[in-house]
Amino acid sequence: MKIERLNYRFLLLLSTVLACTILAFFVGFIREETIVYTHFFYIPILLAGVWYRRKAVYIALLLSSVYILVTLFSPQAALSVHIFERSAIFVAVAYVIGFVSEERAKGEEKLKETKEKIKEERDKLNLILESMDDGVCIISKDYKVEFMNKVLIDVFGYHVGDICYKAFHNRDEPCPGCKNTEVVKGKTVRWEWHSRRTNRTYDLFETPLKNIDGSISKLTIFRDISEQKRIEDNLRDAEERYRVIFEHALTALCVIEHGKFVSLANKEFETLSGYSREEIKGKKWIDFIADEDMDRVQNYCEERRKGEAPACCEFKFVSRNGEIKHVNAWIEPIPGADSCIASLLDMTELKRKEEELRETCKRLAELDKMKSDFLNVAYHELRSPLAPIVGYASMLERCELPDKGKRYLYNIEQSARQLEKLINRMLELARIDGKKIELSLEWVRIPEVVSEVVKSLEPEAKEKRQKISMSVPDIEVQADKQKLIAILSNLVSNAIKYTPEEGKIDINVEDRGEDICACVADTGIGIPEEHLPKIFERFYMVDTSLTRKSGSLGLGLSIVKEYVKLHGGIVWARSEVGKGSEFFFTIPKRRKAIKKGA
Amino acid sequence: MGEEKKKRVLIVEDAAYMREMLQEMLHQEERSYEVVGFAVNGKEAVEKYKELKPDIVTMDLVMEEMDGIQAIREIKRYDPNALIIAITALGMSEYKDAALAAGADEYLWKPFTINNLFEAFERLLRKRGRGSEGNE
Repeated sequence: MKIERLNYRFLLLLSTVLACTILAFFVGFIREETIVYTHFFYIPILLAGVWYRRKAVYIALLLSSVYILVTLFSPQAALSVHIFERSAIFVAVAYVIGFVSEERAKGEEKLKETKEKIKEERDKLNLILESMDDGVCIISKDYKVEFMNKVLIDVFGYHVGDICYKAFHNRDEPCPGCKNTEVVKGKTVRWEWHSRRTNRTYDLFETPLKNIDGSISKLTIFRDISEQKRIEDNLRDAEERYRVIFEHALTALCVIEHGKFVSLANKEFETLSGYSREEIKGKKWIDFIADEDMDRVQNYCEERRKGEAPACCEFKFVSRNGEIKHVNAWIEPIPGADSCIASLLDMTELKRKEEELRETCKRLAELDKMKSDFLNVAYHELRSPLAPIVGYASMLERCELPDKGKRYLYNIEQSARQLEKLINRMLELARIDGKKIELSLEWVRIPEVVSEVVKSLEPEAKEKRQKISMSVPDIEVQADKQKLIAILSNLVSNAIKYTPEEGKIDINVEDRGEDICACVADTGIGIPEEHLPKIFERFYMVDTSLTRKSGSLGLGLSIVKEYVKLHGGIVWARSEVGKGSEFFFTIPKRRKAIKKGA
Repeated sequence: MGEEKKKRVLIVEDAAYMREMLQEMLHQEERSYEVVGFAVNGKEAVEKYKELKPDIVTMDLVMEEMDGIQAIREIKRYDPNALIIAITALGMSEYKDAALAAGADEYLWKPFTINNLFEAFERLLRKRGRGSEGNE
């Protein structure tokens, strides 16, 4: 395109030269002048000067030669000095025009370059302004918004040209905290501003900005510091939280610097040591340790600082008035610092309590022994008077007595037997409580036990015309025979006692592989449901009214329970009022581990 | 064996009513037993034993001065062939074991019937019979 234009210009120039030559020739010919009419030649010179600048000189030289040639061939014109003079003028004019046009073009180019540079700079500046995270705005002396960058526009909307307090704060007059007046007077300020509109906090940097016309505007840089603030707040919160924990911990806490000085202590430490916070600060750690424990504690601290040693150390703590307190100490090195935190638990009171408890235990053991002794004595003293009653009664039996006498004697004997039974049970329970019962285990044949019990209780049952039936497999279990007899006879005698005349009592033993399950069922009065869970408790009686069946202290079933438990079995009952009761117990066939005195 | 000799019995008991009852009971079998003396404590029992040389001693365990177990031990040391039957209201089997360990030959729990007493005596004599046969 450029080349085309050049060619076009060049052709145009050549044709102008040609045209001028012809014109000059003919005009000169017509006017019959002695020299060729020269004025037309200035047209190509002018064009060349404009187009080709200094190179116009060459055009001028060409023209001059053409001019001389034309003059030579012109009939009127004669070769004269004027011809060369004019040629010289052509060249000179071409040079001047070329020079001027060159200079002008240079100036234009420079201007263009400058303009481009300015544009470039402006673009760069704009890029910076747009890409920075901070908001930038310029506000004039009379509160008019002159510039806002993208960040600010995104946040507050486009308000260039608006009055700032109206646009941003919806006010009719400048805001009370506005720094505009001071800044335009030349002061640079920096302050924090919380925007309620965006609910964010900004760090504002405001500085005067001189305009081209000499007036001063305010340049403001908004830096959003909400996140930073939030982190700071969180940090402060966390710090405060830990301070409260530290301060109100129930253990005495202190920070030891370089293993030597106490730099920080909490309230509990104040209480423990008796010193105030100010006094504690800077105090030597070893001042709190009793002399005899010094080496041990120092060693412990040293080892803890190296991350070794167990976490706890017990030592004597010396408080302000020289009072010794027993403390348990934990020393924990603080990571990244040559210090550690010591938590001390005052064990003095605990130790005293422990001592008290030990004392109480001792006392209780003594009391227990006293109780045991008393029970033994009581047992002896209660049984002793029974001896002559039973003895004489047995002798009376050998005497000739009237029927009435025999009946009286029988009653005496029955009462004595009952009394003996009650006394025995009381002692038995006392011995169970004192864990003085031991099982003497042997292989016991169950049918033997059952028949022995039935034999001993049959007279009672017969008296009430009750029928005892049984179903017992021939098996052996490892048990204490006497205890087993006691368990069963307690249950059977209860059944007899609480079953009306002509009732039925059924003893059933089941072989369950690992253990046996025995059941004593009766058709008696039954036990109300609410009493069932409690009947195995000591002294528990279903009927405590004056109309109850006498001859019971509520001990029989609790002995049954204890004996079954000793054997490693369980006992339970099922009953329906008016229909009867079923008592079950299990005995493992083989004792896995025989617990002595369990 | 012809008519057996009456067995001479020493009753050791601190309670008077028990002494009396035991005597009464033994009198029921006058042909077999004869009460030759009483002692109210262990110390007296040992003395009386040495003095009377009874065939059988009934020994209460709880007594003043010297208790029954100690007395059994003393008597047995003096005469290993002495026949002693411990009679007590103490319930625990430990006492029975202690009495037997000390040398008692039989043990009878209070309260007892007259039959219980004679059964115990018979057991005692049977045992002795066997023992003496073995010795001879």
